[in-house]
Amino acid sequence: MNDIGHRELESADKWEVQLRKGCLELAILAALWGGRLYGLEILRRLENDSDLIVAEGTVYPLLSRLKALGLVRSEWVESDAGHPRKYYALTAAGKKRALEMAAIWVRFSSTMDQLLVPLGGGSRR
Amino acid sequence: MIAVNAQAKIEAYLHRLRGSLRGLGAEEIREIVEELRSHILDKASAEGDVTAASVEGALAALGSPEDLARDYVTDAVLARAEVSRWPLEILKSLFRWASLSVAGFFALLGTILGYSAGMVFFLVAALKPFHPENAGLWVWRTSGDVMYSVRLGFGTPPAGARELLGWWIVPVGLVVSCVVVVLTTHFAVWCVRHYRRSRTALRLGR
Repeated sequence: MNDIGHRELESADKWEVQLRKGCLELAILAALWGGRLYGLEILRRLENDSDLIVAEGTVYPLLSRLKALGLVRSEWVESDAGHPRKYYALTAAGKKRALEMAAIWVRFSSTMDQLLVPLGGGSRR
Repeated sequence: MIAVNAQAKIEAYLHRLRGSLRGLGAEEIREIVEELRSHILDKASAEGDVTAASVEGALAALGSPEDLARDYVTDAVLARAEVSRWPLEILKSLFRWASLSVAGFFALLGTILGYSAGMVFFLVAALKPFHPENAGLWVWRTSGDVMYSVRLGFGTPPAGARELLGWWIVPVGLVVSCVVVVLTTHFAVWCVRHYRRSRTALRLGR
């Protein structure tokens, strides 16, 4: 009994992980929409504006991957803090990708909202 | 202000990171190390001076340098394989991936088999004009089994074997070779993409 409950909890966790898996990339691209940011600023944006719990270490390799794919570019900028910071900005391809992903997200979540009305969750309108 | 023991902690962390990043380009490693140094300093100085305790907090939030380096190296290798369409580049990336994970090992194995098959068909087409009697696709029977063999023409075919395509092996070999190489490349890129998707999930779940 207890075991079954535990297993159900685990599969809900797994589902949440699945749900988040593609979202981090979109969240980073969206955070950069307003202009260039450095790594820690992106992290703080993700912590403030979304429920994505990001282990800090994971965002840097992901940024470097987005750069390798040509979705963001980077530049070093001197700062008042005494050390340079690496800023990231969207490339044209990155903007296009962000718009495509955002459109898919909006379509998907509005469908889900409608479906979830009977469950008391979903639509807040 | 940075306390001396705080500076030493940062350097020790970055030294371990640098060590685990071996295999990436020197410039790439320098950029990663400098970026993380900048992150650690910003994070540790968020509430005033950089002290040993504030550095420790920043380092703990980052995770171990070895885990971080593994993410970088795997991502760099996979991104290279995904962007590149050249068999040699893909193989180089897969070799590195194979050294990092079991999935990479099997992807490498399949890709090597595919490219080898493509190579054989290309070679038989290329060598047919030089070994017109012995190169080509041969078929023969041994105790009821039908055996096929693509022969490059070094050595004579087994007794009783019959050549199937004759000179047609040249165009057929070239086309089959191209198709096999393209399919293998697709397979390799598919493996990389598939693995990267599941990997992102794993990382977020950690």
